[in-house]
Amino acid sequence: MFKLEARNVNLYYGEKHALKNISIGIDPNTVTAFIGPSGCGKSTFLRCFNRMNDLIDNVKITGDILIDGKNVYKSKIDVDEHRKKIGMVFQKPNPFPKSIYENVIYGLRINGINNKQVLDETVERSLKQAALWEEVKDDLKKSALSLSGGQQQRLCIARAMAVEPSVILMDEPASALDPISTSKIEDLIYELKSKYTIVIVTHNMQQAARISDKTAFFYLGELIEYNQTATMFTNPDKEQTQNYITGRFG
Amino acid sequence: MTHLEEELHKLRGEMIEMANLVTSQIEKSLTALVGEDVDLAREVIFNEKRVNAFELSVDKDCENILALLNPFASDMRFVFATLKINTNFERIGDNAEGIAKYLLQSGKRFDEELLADCRFHEMADTVKDMLRAVTKAYEDNDAKLARTVFKQDMILDEINKASTDNIVLYINKRPENIYQALYLLTVIRKLERVGDHITNIAEEIIFHLEAKVLKHIKKIAKEDE
Amino acid sequence: MSNSQLNRLKDLAFKIFAIFCTSVGLIVLVVLLYVVISQGLSRIDWDFITNLPSRSAERSGIYTALFGMIWVLVLTILISFPVGVCAGIYLQEYGKKGFLTNFIEINISNLAGVPSIIYGILGLELFGRLLHLGNSILAGSLTLSLLILPLIIVSTREAVKAVPKSLREASYGLGATKWQTIWNVVLPSSFGGIMTGLILAISRAIGETAPLIVVGALVYVPFVPSSPMDEFTVLPSQIFNWVTRPQAGFVTNAAAAIIILLTFTFMMNGIAVIIRNRFNKKTKF
Repeated sequence: MFKLEARNVNLYYGEKHALKNISIGIDPNTVTAFIGPSGCGKSTFLRCFNRMNDLIDNVKITGDILIDGKNVYKSKIDVDEHRKKIGMVFQKPNPFPKSIYENVIYGLRINGINNKQVLDETVERSLKQAALWEEVKDDLKKSALSLSGGQQQRLCIARAMAVEPSVILMDEPASALDPISTSKIEDLIYELKSKYTIVIVTHNMQQAARISDKTAFFYLGELIEYNQTATMFTNPDKEQTQNYITGRFG
Repeated sequence: MTHLEEELHKLRGEMIEMANLVTSQIEKSLTALVGEDVDLAREVIFNEKRVNAFELSVDKDCENILALLNPFASDMRFVFATLKINTNFERIGDNAEGIAKYLLQSGKRFDEELLADCRFHEMADTVKDMLRAVTKAYEDNDAKLARTVFKQDMILDEINKASTDNIVLYINKRPENIYQALYLLTVIRKLERVGDHITNIAEEIIFHLEAKVLKHIKKIAKEDE
Repeated sequence: MSNSQLNRLKDLAFKIFAIFCTSVGLIVLVVLLYVVISQGLSRIDWDFITNLPSRSAERSGIYTALFGMIWVLVLTILISFPVGVCAGIYLQEYGKKGFLTNFIEINISNLAGVPSIIYGILGLELFGRLLHLGNSILAGSLTLSLLILPLIIVSTREAVKAVPKSLREASYGLGATKWQTIWNVVLPSSFGGIMTGLILAISRAIGETAPLIVVGALVYVPFVPSSPMDEFTVLPSQIFNWVTRPQAGFVTNAAAAIIILLTFTFMMNGIAVIIRNRFNKKTKF
């Protein structure tokens, strides 16, 4: 069964038809990359899976989005509960203006978990998974805003993983970072694959080629091609895909 | 290990496996030839399929690494070198099959005198040494070891050059074995070509390790490099 | 004259004009301080602060006025702060963009500009008479709360608006409800701005004499209030009262009381600046 699935999804921002009939199935424990030129709808589509588009006024969605077989929009699910099972990392690192410790356990606190031992263990585990533990373990009470950009983004990843979601959605997580931080994050994603299902939106094709198993190419709101990454970058099916990948447009 | 490191490691392992297979193909084909072991020869011919499969797989893996993982500097040279070494090993494999086929064609044991006259055993042993050396050099990233095959290849050239005369002399001695002699001449040519492939492999190994291009330089000069 | 020379001249002219304007304000402040301090500083002593007002200038003190002001202030804060902050949060976070919200927004901004005497009249009728609170501290505080409520609402809204959307998204992404997001992320981040707004509103409230006079802050109150229902007076009223008396001694008293009032105001503003700086350092976005 697919971990994430979309069937005939259409999305409208008011009058604008932003996503046109998208259908896709994502397997568990894989890294899938969404690529495409700016404004093609890849971030919008990503945000459908954890219903972050609900926060925007004037958005209408038709079609089905399923996670583990359950319909996310139609069935009576609690949006907040649903979001807890899906972690999200954003383009610009957005740690809360609190300490590193408080940032990581935010998700636990809002679930009412206050046992110090559990919290301490979670902080250590999450920061280790995000490859940040060694750098911050000596002073977890330091403000998160005093970290560098790359460290802040890894902190956001740790924060997302602290609640142990099974899916992690990443919206251009490295685009605001320098190349070394970017490559650290890419290595991290590659390692996380064994435990999580990851979908990453990126405008950097080489990044998609480096870390993903399958790639989906979006253009003007449509899903043009969805294929194994190796095939996508050596011999894509559609000419449009080939033109985008070779830099002929976009 | 990063994704790139993992893939390079896998590629290296695959190449070493193929090298070992091809080395054993040559060893078996030569043993079969000298000992008139038809079963062994058939085995070599059968295994040629595996060699070809390896070639396709290594090609595909190199292609993927180059397309997806952006290797630079020595990593990039490694992939390019492996790509070419792949082709050379596959040709060596073809030659091993060819030698095995000749045994099946000739049908009987090669005359010991013929083999001695042409210094065949020396040639066979040299080729086996060179193969082992170059495989180990690839495995251990040993440029010095790779260089040793250039001198050894000169022995092969020597034997090959002399082989025409030696075969003619032998045919005059033993005209009843003329077919065998002609077959052996072809086998010697094949072994000489195997030697060339091995030196190509050595050049690629040195290119990977030192970024030095040794192609098309005279052999004496190579030894001094 | 070339173009660049002309521009430099205009530059210089504006600079001189700006300095002049600034000096005007500064000079006025300096003159005020000089007059007040020279007249009143000598009068300030412990007796002055602890004496009750009396007919004799030498024996008058600001005790009741000071305490009355503190009572009124505390009560006003207790009433206006929660109401103002919650209203501000509601309008910014929960209000749907529509005709009704826009209507409320415009009206609140207008309320901030209404002359304070009108609040006094409203307070007198509504609190003093209709609710039978008379001339009590409670009536005065409620009136002042009405006065500064728009200020608190507006500054709360601005502070909450300044919290970046990305922080809210991060919170929602982790599965927090709207209220959890507001309580855990938005409020702590905007707290500095809210506090600044509150203190500035209070500073304004201290100085508003007119509405309190209408509501009934008496000018001769020889006792310290002990409950919200008591009658009261405040420092500005006391100053006003003394200034209208003919005896010279009362002018000195007024000057002294002004110094105390100014000190109070400067202190409040100082606290506002300190709080704002502390919170701004912590929440650098």
